[in-house]
Amino acid sequence: MSAERPIETDKASQRVAAWIAQYAPMRDAPDELFDHDGRLRTHWREFLDALAAFGDDGLEQRFAAAARRIDDMGVSYRVHGEAKERSWPLGRLPLLIPESEWRDIAAGVAQRAELLNRILHDVYGDARLVADGVLPAAAITGSPDFIRPMCGVAPPGGRWLRFYAADLGRGPDGAWRVLGDRAQAPSGAGYALENRMVLSRALPSLYRDMNVERLAPFFREFRASISRAAQRVDPRICLLTPGPWSETYSEQVHLARYLGFTLIEGEDLVMSDGKLHVRTIAGLKRADAIWRRVDADWCDPLEQNAASRLGVAGMFEAIRRGDVVVANMPGAGLIESRALMSFLPELSERVLGESLKLSNVATWWCGRESERKQVIEALSERAINSAFGGRLPGFGERREALGSELTADERAQLIDAINQRGVDYVAQEPIKLSTTPTWVDGRLTPRPFALRVFAAATADGWTVMPGGFCRVSNRLDARAVSMDAGAQSSDVWVLTSRPIEWSTLLPSDENPPIVRALGNLPSRAADNLFWMGRYLERAEATLRIVRSLGARLGELQHIDLQGGQSIERLARLLIAWGAAPEGAPDMNPTEIAWSAAAGADDYGSALSVVRNARRAASIVRERLSQDVWQLIGRIETRLTRAGARAITEPEALEIVERSLHTLAALSGLIDENFNRVAGWSFIDLGRRIERAIGTCRFARQFAGDDATVETLDALLDLLDSQITYRSRYIAGAALAPVLDMAMLDPFNPRSVLFQAMRIDEHLAALPALRDDGVMERPRRLSVKLRAELESEDARRLDTSIILAFEQRLMSLADKIAERYFTHGADGAANSQPSRIA
Amino acid sequence: MIYDIAHRTIFKYDAPVASARCAMRLIPRSDRGQTVLSSHIELSPSAEFINERIDFHGNRVCEARILKPHTKLQIALAARVEVERAPPPAPALTPAWEIVRNDAYASDSLAASSPAHFIYASRFAPLFDSATHYARESFSPGRPILEGALELTQRIHADFAYDPEATHIATPIAQAFERRRGVCQDFAHIMIAALRGLGLAASYVSGYLRTYAAPGQARLEGADSTHAWVSVWCGPEFGFFDLDPTNAVVVGNDHIAIAIGRDYADVSPIDGVIIGAGDQDLDVSVDVKEAAI
Repeated sequence: MSAERPIETDKASQRVAAWIAQYAPMRDAPDELFDHDGRLRTHWREFLDALAAFGDDGLEQRFAAAARRIDDMGVSYRVHGEAKERSWPLGRLPLLIPESEWRDIAAGVAQRAELLNRILHDVYGDARLVADGVLPAAAITGSPDFIRPMCGVAPPGGRWLRFYAADLGRGPDGAWRVLGDRAQAPSGAGYALENRMVLSRALPSLYRDMNVERLAPFFREFRASISRAAQRVDPRICLLTPGPWSETYSEQVHLARYLGFTLIEGEDLVMSDGKLHVRTIAGLKRADAIWRRVDADWCDPLEQNAASRLGVAGMFEAIRRGDVVVANMPGAGLIESRALMSFLPELSERVLGESLKLSNVATWWCGRESERKQVIEALSERAINSAFGGRLPGFGERREALGSELTADERAQLIDAINQRGVDYVAQEPIKLSTTPTWVDGRLTPRPFALRVFAAATADGWTVMPGGFCRVSNRLDARAVSMDAGAQSSDVWVLTSRPIEWSTLLPSDENPPIVRALGNLPSRAADNLFWMGRYLERAEATLRIVRSLGARLGELQHIDLQGGQSIERLARLLIAWGAAPEGAPDMNPTEIAWSAAAGADDYGSALSVVRNARRAASIVRERLSQDVWQLIGRIETRLTRAGARAITEPEALEIVERSLHTLAALSGLIDENFNRVAGWSFIDLGRRIERAIGTCRFARQFAGDDATVETLDALLDLLDSQITYRSRYIAGAALAPVLDMAMLDPFNPRSVLFQAMRIDEHLAALPALRDDGVMERPRRLSVKLRAELESEDARRLDTSIILAFEQRLMSLADKIAERYFTHGADGAANSQPSRIA
Repeated sequence: MIYDIAHRTIFKYDAPVASARCAMRLIPRSDRGQTVLSSHIELSPSAEFINERIDFHGNRVCEARILKPHTKLQIALAARVEVERAPPPAPALTPAWEIVRNDAYASDSLAASSPAHFIYASRFAPLFDSATHYARESFSPGRPILEGALELTQRIHADFAYDPEATHIATPIAQAFERRRGVCQDFAHIMIAALRGLGLAASYVSGYLRTYAAPGQARLEGADSTHAWVSVWCGPEFGFFDLDPTNAVVVGNDHIAIAIGRDYADVSPIDGVIIGAGDQDLDVSVDVKEAAI
């Protein structure tokens, strides 16, 4: 924390005056900065004064640091349909909400969560509200999230709803109103947490002095409540993600890490003995609770969408058997429909015996005749939406029609549609979002916003996150804000008058047991770590060949060295590895070398291999430190940029050299910073296997029966063993000593034996499925391989013996995959399940 | 009438399948004028039956798991079913379709028999304007619902060609509608979409047809595999009645219903996931004959 030096007060107040001089809120919508009499609100005055006290430079430094931190944390999101993730757009100014106002919001949101939970109990239970005529059946059955297989099911843990979010906005009268309900898989809580981490670090003194409510207790209670709902004492809680292509994957990764949940995809799960299990390297492990970010329709291909690859066959059966707590229950998304919203005021009276503390946008479902008539009469003052989400039926891609903006034809069409199939439509009072100040070009500017507030079930009710996820539009006149291009997000500060206790997720009131082993590694994660290790090693080997080839080509041009043989073989090796195109006779070795480094078309080029490494890494990103992730990205970017333009030879070699340095740094980072029980052994196993195979190939290519001093020299080069060799042998490179160094030397970290020893050690330390002490298959292979290499004599080695070792290494890799990644008959992680009929 | 049903499905895989898990809706229903006297499902390779349950719509679902590697999977159903359906009411006595529609909108039940489940677009039966307009021709204002529905059944039979080559399971029904050809499944989905477009409740029924025509009658189309037709809700007093647009008949004692749902997705006879790669080949045979008692 840096010291914050207040500067002259006069200057500061001038600065504030300049910031707000041109601030012009809309006339017909409330604003956060100014009250309806045009007075600057006191909490904003206090905030801006403190901000101004940092001085212009101080502020810029802080916000620049905040931006860097967002990149460092890897906070990102994806706009639907875009391949690349965008960096998170966090606004500089928080949304400020005084405690008195917050109390009402929190009470209203908690009440609503309770009401919706009880409605779900009724609808999926004995449907009394429907039978009594309070809630028409058709207002339920039209929802794609009325999940029929869940009817009559008692939710394990006793609740349909555990995590709920309400989207709020201010109505024209300044009162908060619910714009929408979220219960399927509400997003944004993780972004709210990340926003807080960034902004509270950028403005620590302000954050402290304004007594901002902390977010951590909310998450702690949420975790504790899921944990209590599960059957076992120390339950395995999983966050089920749709995967890296999900728009909010970055948030899901962050939440899983923050809460200590296991991040899994559908493929990680398997139904066995009527219970859900996670495939881990230690076998199948029970999944006690699932926080799902996969929509209900995609959760179970046997009972819902048969085309889904995101869920697991049998999840619904496991729920029916009561063995897995799912938050929220499949089918909870039902309460998101606008049709239901129109009934909530009445349902609140009926179910809770009290009126809604936070009213929602006035809504009329057109499935009932009386409402239908009213809506048509007042059509020009209404916004018409689909009753159950999605597009407005009959209006192409449009999601909403404003009665006042319809042409005569459209109006007639809409009235006809409402008369025919009114069940598909709702009418709402048109809401214009109110504004909050944002920072635009060094000034404060009003921008419309929507606030998402989160509630989590506790043992005896609900807890509401003090803060939330605020989305700010970049257009002044907005009726909705989604995180598409241009929108921003703001931290939300609930200001209290009392000092706030410091709190994080660390338990303070109990003595936590010391745990050194992390939960068992899911097989899919192990698989991807293994391949990340293999790809990184292969990229390194490829670049080493390129470097070696480049250096020899350079020497040739200057001195008349005999380099022909090794140049030809190095080039051949690159082609054999798929790093350069085959059968391109007009390519000279220089072109082959460069193509093998930065060519995008060949699957074996260093660039392609690094891309594969990155893909594997992206799937296990939550397990990698930000540094590791960034370094992999850096190599990819460097090679991609270099490949895209014409480049001189020295430049190319420089890029290869620097990429090798980055790979070395990466290797070091992984070795020094990766917890040994968090999957490091699988990265290292991948690396070792790849290196051993690569070394065998080098040896066959350069130390075969036709080896010359020159080819042996190239081999020593590729193995980085020139110096050691020269210190051991005074004479030049000779076949047996070089082969010994490449294959059998237990002290050479690039020899095949050295790899075999590390592989064997890893396999010895990994969890065993058998309890009879008999060795598992991969270990049997590794022990044997190691012993044979240890007892081998370099003078006996020839290409066929080396090839035999190479093949055994490949079969060892297969056995490792079978044992730790795919679990034989109970389901293969890397083979695609497909539909029977 | 008592029938003996033999329904055999064979999957052949290019590459061995390590394991499979499947849900089967093959055993006919015991309601609406039919009773299952006996039924038996046999799998080869042999399977572990893990569960039998009744789904939301009242259909019997058997779940099985095959843990043996296999390249061929055979699922065989043998069932004996008695069918004795009441004849439909005189169409002119059924209520006006608009009244039936409003009754469906106002339904106060979420039970499986509620019309509220069958008035909305569903996975295989999206609503589209041309189908709604097509239906409207048979539903002039105030027309009794069953009259309109019967006429629609006959029009689909007359206007559409039965052509197994024209469509496959993934063909959108709007396309089959434009081409005016398809198979029983397409005709059922088209009729459902057309009725729902007007706000009427219609469900999808999968089932069997007697293989050999009753004496003096023509053989019905769709008898050599599983068949599909439509059930139309005719108001609280009359409930659902089944119509077969493929053969332009009211469903009587020649039809045996297996499962009811919003569309094919709810009643798909065999759903499953296999662990394996490669293509598969499907062979289905159905034999439905009068039981020799």
